[in-house]
Amino acid sequence: MQSVLYHCAHLEEPRAPLPPSYPSSFADFAPLNHLYFCEECDAIRCDDCVAIEVASYYCPNCLFDVPGANVRADKSRCARSCFSCPECSSCLNVLASEQASDSSRAATASGTSATHSSSAPYLLSCPACKWSSKEIGWKFDKPTSLASQLSQVYSAPEDVQAEFDALKDHLEGYISQSAPPPTAGKGSGHHRTPSRHIAQITQAAARALRREVPGMGGPRTGAAARRKAGEKSDNRAGWDQLAPYEAKDSWKEEGLQRGVDDVDTMRKLTGEEVAPIEKRWTSAWEPPRMSSETMPQRIPLQAKLTKRCPHPTCRHILIQPDTKTVRMLIKMVGGNYLPAIELGRRRRRLVDEALDGLTEEELERRRRERRRTRINLAREEDEDMTEPLHPGEVYTFQLAFTNPLYDPVQVRLGAAHQPRGPVQPSHHIFTPTAHFTVGPLKDAWAYDEEDEDDNVEDDAGTGGAAGHGGDSVSERAKARMSLAGLPSSRHRGREAEVEKRGNVTKVGLEVEVLPGASGPVEFDLEIRFTYRADDAEGGAGPAEGPGEAAVTGSGKDAKEEYKTFTFWTRDIRDMDAAVAVDGQPGLGLLTQRVWTSTRPNGAPPPGGIELAGPADMQKGGQAERDGA
Amino acid sequence: MGAFDPVQTFEKGTYIETDTGNKVSRKATILGATNIILGGKSIIQTRAVIRGDLRRSAPGQHVVISMGRYCLVGEGAVLRPPGKIYKGAFTFYPVRIADFVHIGADAIVEAASIGHGVEIGAGAIVGKFCIIKDLVQILPDSVLPDGAIVPSMTVWGGNPARMLSSLPETYQETIEERCKSYYQRFRAV
Repeated sequence: MQSVLYHCAHLEEPRAPLPPSYPSSFADFAPLNHLYFCEECDAIRCDDCVAIEVASYYCPNCLFDVPGANVRADKSRCARSCFSCPECSSCLNVLASEQASDSSRAATASGTSATHSSSAPYLLSCPACKWSSKEIGWKFDKPTSLASQLSQVYSAPEDVQAEFDALKDHLEGYISQSAPPPTAGKGSGHHRTPSRHIAQITQAAARALRREVPGMGGPRTGAAARRKAGEKSDNRAGWDQLAPYEAKDSWKEEGLQRGVDDVDTMRKLTGEEVAPIEKRWTSAWEPPRMSSETMPQRIPLQAKLTKRCPHPTCRHILIQPDTKTVRMLIKMVGGNYLPAIELGRRRRRLVDEALDGLTEEELERRRRERRRTRINLAREEDEDMTEPLHPGEVYTFQLAFTNPLYDPVQVRLGAAHQPRGPVQPSHHIFTPTAHFTVGPLKDAWAYDEEDEDDNVEDDAGTGGAAGHGGDSVSERAKARMSLAGLPSSRHRGREAEVEKRGNVTKVGLEVEVLPGASGPVEFDLEIRFTYRADDAEGGAGPAEGPGEAAVTGSGKDAKEEYKTFTFWTRDIRDMDAAVAVDGQPGLGLLTQRVWTSTRPNGAPPPGGIELAGPADMQKGGQAERDGA
Repeated sequence: MGAFDPVQTFEKGTYIETDTGNKVSRKATILGATNIILGGKSIIQTRAVIRGDLRRSAPGQHVVISMGRYCLVGEGAVLRPPGKIYKGAFTFYPVRIADFVHIGADAIVEAASIGHGVEIGAGAIVGKFCIIKDLVQILPDSVLPDGAIVPSMTVWGGNPARMLSSLPETYQETIEERCKSYYQRFRAV
């Protein structure tokens, strides 16, 4: 249950995302558990921007690790005995033929169970839909390595294979010239360097060409073809100089013949036997039109992926899977660096009079008044997070920040400074507590002590935890607090809104949905957090602004390095038209988007994170769509 | 993670808590309890059916169902060992379930083995002799055909179930955290 989406600036300088009224802005957001973090670049990376390499291939059915060298020859499909059902795509079982099992059953019945071992011929059978390869006449002599048995017996028609090889030769000359592109973006630091350059596309195309295309069948007779292509690639043509390809044969005649057959078939059609579209569009040349023509396919291999930082000068490995187990040898994920943010505990402010009919100024005045006096006047009732929001109501939520670091962090919330979008905002966001700390992550037993420390500190404003000699963490926590200029006494009133427990801090968030609003409530939040750097890493990042230096000076230990990481979140609550009252749509779910960035030494904050909705974003999205 | 998850309560006395922290509903149907091993901190909820009595026909003691830690057998879920005819006689085979396995409400599970960190959605049916590897999500109401093999880090759904997507690299922490938090939130009123 992911509550928040985080912003990834990809290779650009961290920046505020586009306002949520631009649907395209959502492309850069991902849930925290899908994000990576490059320590070298000090930046968030996401699945859309990391560079990917295949670490190993395996068959998802027999779990065999296929050596990389064999993958091409096997056309990226399992070369052992794994086939998928032509009807339902389940994996087929190998069965001894029925006569054999009948006879063996008879044998066991009569007590001579010696010859139970099932006998040829063997069939493929689907455990889900009971399809059997008897229907297409496939029989095997041995129950093992069916793929190679099959390729000997049922190979592709000569003409199809010849045509394919000719086409491959024609294209290979263009594909093989996929030298890696010169590192783009030289001197153009502002431009985004696409991590998947054209070379990768052509390589992918090359790989696609070597893949087995269902309906082509048969082993590749490509040795000669490859040699020919090698000669050709000496005088490489440019990518845009692709000569037109001439087919070897005209397929018109055959097509006509097939058309006549199809008409005959359609006359007798009852509807059941037409091959479903999913079976047809995966086949290239002659898609099976009738379900009786679909064949079992070898099961496509799966790959474990190594993921690297996409930055041209970094390329550090972010994910390195272990080929044997599910462990990761290297795992640099966002969740270990960024605080997890969740949205919950929704409450609706109870208002006596209706807000309809008030002018904008009056509304604004009320809003300010309410914020001043919020603690006394707030009469609120709890609501279920899944209920739709209603226009004209004021809701309060709690944002929970969970700190994954072993140091306390200082968090500062801010609204996104965004150009006015084309869509008028449907809501107002207010964060009563914009500054707060989140305790460090530690062993469960250590939290009680720490909480005491925090309390002492809150009361005195200066460290009162002298009793815990050697508790460097709490010392640091104190340094952190004073560093951020947050003597808690000043914030006492506000702190009532803050709940701290271990490494989790919950703060309030107020959402006022304007009357007459419709559509989702979406907003970005900038989340800037400061923590102590592990070592003097100042040199690692660009020596930017002394922003934090001044603050550090006011801290206890000016020599300690601090880092500020900033990100933006966006909250979205979809209006749910299904609950519309008086023609006014209600509001569904809330997504919050945050954008983040890191800056060593507290340079001005860039970057972003996105907070996504509360319970289930998909549901809300659905509701929104329904509403539309 | 899970900062706002609500506490799941049950009426005091409706669950038996064992020394190792298992919470077993008194209203669950558990047959052949001597053939069942629970690893500790596992929850068996009301109306669940666990068939430890369906044991290998050979004489002697056999473990029929072994389950790791932080597992959950949801309300009305059925867990029974798979059986088939082998050498002319019908026999049941043992089920091995690793740690952090959540079986959703009203699911029917006849798998041969279920790996670490597997979530089986509510109402799903897992066919006989399925092998589910570590870190897998079976979506609610999906049907895994008999003997299906589900590789690690994948999401399966549909009827018959097929591979829909893969899981993020962080899933192991996510599911372990979720299972532990569920166990801690599941307590008496």
